[in-house]
Amino acid sequence: MTDTTARPAAAHELPAADDPRLKDTWARRQLLVLVAGVAVLSTLPLFLGEQAQSVAIRTLIFAIMAVGWNLMSGFGGMFSFGHAAFFGIGAYTGAYLLVDHGISPWISMVVAAVLSAAVGVAIAYLCLRYKLAGSYFALATFAFAQMFLLIVQNVDALHKTEGFNVEILPSDSWSMLQFQQGDPLYFWIPLAILAAAVLVSILYVRSRAGQYAQAVRDDEVAASSLGINTMRARLIAVALSCGVTAVAGVYYTQYYFFVGPEQAFGSAVSVEAIVPAVIGGIGTIWGPVIGAMVVGPLSELVATVLRNPPGFLSFLQGTSGLDVAVYATLLIVIVIVMPKGIFGTIRDRWRS
Amino acid sequence: MKKIASVMTALVVAGGLAACSGSDGGGSSESGTVTIGSIHPTSGALAGVGGLMDDGAKLAVDDINAAGGIKALDGAKLKLSSGDSQGKAEVGQSEAQRLIADGAVALVGTYQSDVTQNVAAVAERGRVPFVIDVAVDDKILQQGYKYAFRVQPDATSMGTSGAQSLAKIGQDSGTPITSVAYLHIEGAFGDSVFKAFEAEAAAQGITSVKEITYPATNFSDATTQVREAAAAKPDVIVATGYYPDGVLIAKAVSELKPDIQGLYGIANGAFDDGSFPAASGESGQNVLSANYHYDANDERVADIRTRFEAKYGKPMETASILSYQAVEVVAAGLEKSGSDDPEKLREAIAGISIDDPLLAFDGPITFDERGQNENATVIVMQVQGDNVEQVFPQEFSTKDLVFPATAAR
Repeated sequence: MTDTTARPAAAHELPAADDPRLKDTWARRQLLVLVAGVAVLSTLPLFLGEQAQSVAIRTLIFAIMAVGWNLMSGFGGMFSFGHAAFFGIGAYTGAYLLVDHGISPWISMVVAAVLSAAVGVAIAYLCLRYKLAGSYFALATFAFAQMFLLIVQNVDALHKTEGFNVEILPSDSWSMLQFQQGDPLYFWIPLAILAAAVLVSILYVRSRAGQYAQAVRDDEVAASSLGINTMRARLIAVALSCGVTAVAGVYYTQYYFFVGPEQAFGSAVSVEAIVPAVIGGIGTIWGPVIGAMVVGPLSELVATVLRNPPGFLSFLQGTSGLDVAVYATLLIVIVIVMPKGIFGTIRDRWRS
Repeated sequence: MKKIASVMTALVVAGGLAACSGSDGGGSSESGTVTIGSIHPTSGALAGVGGLMDDGAKLAVDDINAAGGIKALDGAKLKLSSGDSQGKAEVGQSEAQRLIADGAVALVGTYQSDVTQNVAAVAERGRVPFVIDVAVDDKILQQGYKYAFRVQPDATSMGTSGAQSLAKIGQDSGTPITSVAYLHIEGAFGDSVFKAFEAEAAAQGITSVKEITYPATNFSDATTQVREAAAAKPDVIVATGYYPDGVLIAKAVSELKPDIQGLYGIANGAFDDGSFPAASGESGQNVLSANYHYDANDERVADIRTRFEAKYGKPMETASILSYQAVEVVAAGLEKSGSDDPEKLREAIAGISIDDPLLAFDGPITFDERGQNENATVIVMQVQGDNVEQVFPQEFSTKDLVFPATAAR
């Protein structure tokens, strides 16, 4: 302590306000990565066959859902096990408005986002009002998603268990978001939506509302004692999360031409929103995207390998269901080796 | 540890990217082979029946190739490319896209109505004919699709002919049926079969129809519903549903012993399944079932079923025969058009007539303007001893009908 003179003098002085080390370049760096990532990915349709492209599109839809889920559950700390409800609201809003009223899916995206955000806020308000936290909150959201599934299956206006078929148009239409099968636009549009969702994440995390939400997540009492309106901070996270997820739902209906209760509100959908984020890294910007890129093509990859297996795997030819085993193994390995997810763990290694 | 983790990560990420870029469309079929795509749920909860159906399609391809291939295409051989829908609509869709991109000139599938809807949309947009082997929902062919064809009867025609057969059985046995209690599963399948039955029942002299529904999930005991049905004092209890619920209903009926002339399934997934007599035991005896079924009197069917069992080690159920039949429809279309161009193949299938169907149908397989097989119909079967016997109409019967069909008690 006494030989402070040995240390460089600069360490004593407060850095000047315009010191480059104090400049926060985080947001700018994230945006650069985003732009570069979109630029690289947007060339994918040039290399992909039709089926590979359809897998890539499914992956993008997963990624949008996971980014949405992460806003609420990662940054907001409210673990949702019922994101199928919000995905389903999106898918059904799009289907209902298009099939029964001929309204363009672009408009549906806005309507669905607003509707889903409102429903999400209502559910979350009830849960938080009655102090449901942790696994109880998760169970409550799960229950709500199941409730939506049952309601939809029994409402005539939503075609009960029949679901909706989107009519196939004779020619391409931007306003109705319908193109030739295999058109690269089917890839570029969800890529743009994903980019927008990631942008929302980046801006939100930097914003006052996002900082509040993270503070509440880390210590609710401390945050509240500093004057943060904890309910409000959390509900904003929920609204953003549900809105983003609903847009993925609208696009799902548009791309797949058919949506039924199980495709929209089934509990498998909730899991599909969670798994990419968990594998990639909860509460990180890039975790859900990276996770989706791993999980999305996985079963296709395994199936492709098994169709024409290399010599040493030839005994596996024709086995079905192996993708599930690989998936489970991968999940276990990641949880043990990289508890913070792929991106979270690598980032931490990098920093240390 | 760190190293292992980062290597793992790199592998996983690289793998993900590789899958995105892998398996480009293989282009059109190599000369001398014609590829048919088959999409069934070969993994997941329905893997059992899905696997049988895929095997049925494979056997059809092998048989056609062994008999000299497609003669109109200089003996070109068929090749079956199998896809796995995993029972999920969106996976079925991407599998259909893969198969079409890999040069499949036609698709067959898919067992489930929702998966079939998605695959039908892909086939329509990809302009590739799609022959539906099993999928009951009327709605699939109500979209105005030109490339979808269905071999099995739809829900409406099963409900209608189920009512006609029931009335006829009553008249023939001298115990006219005037009232029924109808138990059916909730959802599109049960609703549409019931509605068609109800509409036809009045015309057939069945004046009283009581409807009782039960949930599709978490249905573990049918006693309440059967008691409610019995309270209406019907002549016959009718049931429409899948396998597990069908077994429960048969058990509840045999326990409660209502005063009825029989338990009669329409499009019931249990009552004519080969494993039902063993699964239901005493309670299954004499249960009737109106359903589409393979023609047990047909020698060709017997031969196919024997060889199937020898090759795959399992009995060939009706669904699997339908897959076999669907491949035959495509092959006949290829013979007729003399071309492996999907557009021409569609034309040929639309105008096809297959005179010796493997199923107990009213006549040859021909498709109407919607793509529905016009002569697809149901026959009535009955559990007798350890077997499911065909009992009505006479031309298809393997054993005499027992009616009133009260269980041996």
